[in-house]
Amino acid sequence: MGTYRADDDYDYLFKVVLIGDSGVGKSNLLSRFSRNEFSLESKSTIGVEFATRCIRVDDKVIKGQIWDTACQERYRAITSAYYRGAVGALVVYDITRHITFENVERWLKELQGHTDSNIVIMLVGNKADLRHLRAVSTDDAGSFAERENVFFMETSALESLNVENAFTEVLTRIYRVVSRKALDIGEDPVMPPKGQTINVGSKDDVSEVKSVGCCSS
Amino acid sequence: MLKGNHKIPDRPRKVFPDMLGSLVLGFELKESENAGGSLASLESGEELKAFEPNGLGSVQPVAMSDFVDEKPKGTNLDIRSRLLRPAKDGHGQVSAMEGIIAADEKRSDLQYELSQPEINLEKLQRIANNGLPDGGGLRATAWKLLLGYLPPSHEMWEKDLTEHRSKYAKLKEELLSSPARWGENTTYAETIVESNINDGPLQRQKISPEDHPLSVGKSSAWSQFFQYTEIVEQIDRDLQRTHPDLKFFSGDTQSSRKHRESMKNVLLLFAKLNPAIRYVQGMNEVLAPIYYIFSTDPDEQNAANAEADSFSCFVRLLSDSVDHFCQQLDNSSVGILSTLSRLSDLLKENDEELWRHLEHTTKVKSQFYAFRWITLLLTQEFSFQSIMRIWDSLLSNPFGIQDMLLRVCCAMLLCLKGRLLCGDFIANLKLLQHYPTDINIDHLLNVATQLSPDTSSYSLSL
Repeated sequence: MGTYRADDDYDYLFKVVLIGDSGVGKSNLLSRFSRNEFSLESKSTIGVEFATRCIRVDDKVIKGQIWDTACQERYRAITSAYYRGAVGALVVYDITRHITFENVERWLKELQGHTDSNIVIMLVGNKADLRHLRAVSTDDAGSFAERENVFFMETSALESLNVENAFTEVLTRIYRVVSRKALDIGEDPVMPPKGQTINVGSKDDVSEVKSVGCCSS
Repeated sequence: MLKGNHKIPDRPRKVFPDMLGSLVLGFELKESENAGGSLASLESGEELKAFEPNGLGSVQPVAMSDFVDEKPKGTNLDIRSRLLRPAKDGHGQVSAMEGIIAADEKRSDLQYELSQPEINLEKLQRIANNGLPDGGGLRATAWKLLLGYLPPSHEMWEKDLTEHRSKYAKLKEELLSSPARWGENTTYAETIVESNINDGPLQRQKISPEDHPLSVGKSSAWSQFFQYTEIVEQIDRDLQRTHPDLKFFSGDTQSSRKHRESMKNVLLLFAKLNPAIRYVQGMNEVLAPIYYIFSTDPDEQNAANAEADSFSCFVRLLSDSVDHFCQQLDNSSVGILSTLSRLSDLLKENDEELWRHLEHTTKVKSQFYAFRWITLLLTQEFSFQSIMRIWDSLLSNPFGIQDMLLRVCCAMLLCLKGRLLCGDFIANLKLLQHYPTDINIDHLLNVATQLSPDTSSYSLSL
């Protein structure tokens, strides 16, 4: 049964959203990262799913609060609330379905509309294990990411390839932004200064910083 | 039982017939020539044959095997449902297992009720509210009655069913066949050149310029046809992911492919008939229990017509909640947000402490968890067998499906009160998004039934 209280021991809590077309593997990326699980046939995500995991960067414990959202138009009005307070995003496409790559532009626009402009974004080409079915070249996606000024990585949730890296990279980048900002202004990173561009909201579902010990999960 | 504000254009008005064949002793099954029609592709019995006994996966294999048995077997009854009710026909066998006796009594109660020339719906609701027995097609018949798809008058069943099924076949022919096939009959256009000159040019179909496949006109038949390809792909993807743990729905067997094909037809037809809603992800989950129950009916005629029957029942099932799928209505009094706030009111009335802790202390908004509970009628929260049991109660509630649904949702929160009260935002959200599987469903439903009735606004709208 275990304990019902979520682990509270972290220095930073960052909210990250997963978006992208239906069936690109968002939920499996999340389950691979948060529980090291993969399922060939997972149910379609309705509304929102949510998971957390802590990573360590430098001597700090960072808790990633990852929100996996339904992608269909109908659910997006409801899900726009999920973007609130997000400081990172993984925009996922399926390397075997070109249309899902074409739609990335639309997803980026949607992010711009709902989040802080300093949000850390990574373009993720998932299902990299399906090499023989590849429809989007790494180069094309790479140069697209460069143009859009976002990070880029190819992953395979099935083979557990780069999944850890993708999330860790995003969380680390956010951490760098936050700590640099704090440093620039010369204040304690624990209390983000006024004018902070990283959106730090109330203590519920949005990102926050905390000063506590460390976390074990 | 069906309430207002549904905009489903084609709500089948009538109810159907047939089916008690397997239930009533001495009733001879009649093959209704009409009913087959273009649905002939769904051959009777094939579903059942192709469906392996273990088809429902490793989850509770014994209990689930019930669903596939052609004949009810006492020993296979769900012994968890300990419903003790007086037997009408004095089924006198003494069994060592109280559960089995209870289940047997439940079954004979129901069989008796369903064999009456005029079904007493109130009685049926009372029986169903305590859980319908698995196997033997009883649940299929009861659900059809509860949804108003079958009329109370037994003798009307066959005629009504035949009518509804042929109507469905016609709808399907009109709306689901590709324009390429329109030439094959004359219902769409008079297409075949009449003259039959031996040495002349080959016969060609006459197609108006607008309907040429390369026409760019928006009203072109092909353009309208292709407009749905995206929806079809989405439906396909979701059907692949419907109860992936059950072989009935998933995998690459011939039977599961056929089930997915039938379900796709139902969903696509619904989308075409309801252009304001179309297909919304999750409808596949709502359709699954109905389709499963109907197509595993031991009555071959019924099983063969599962697609047609599912369509009508799906429409009826959604009649008072279809607006939840509609984004434009989110903020209206019939939209999902207002339903969510009714849930909140219900919780507040029944347990203010828990309500305060969830909504104010931990700020776990109901839309983060109950949105899915409500729009999908709880189909993603529980095991397949538990879903059936819960649906028995939803469908048999005299105040409508939504009333009971909100009660069950509220009960789901109350049953976790202890854990929720000591959980924070993260812990509570995780708990509610992955509802514990060890919950006792009968207890949950009891709690739901006993909630103080703050659903008056609902009852009044009847």
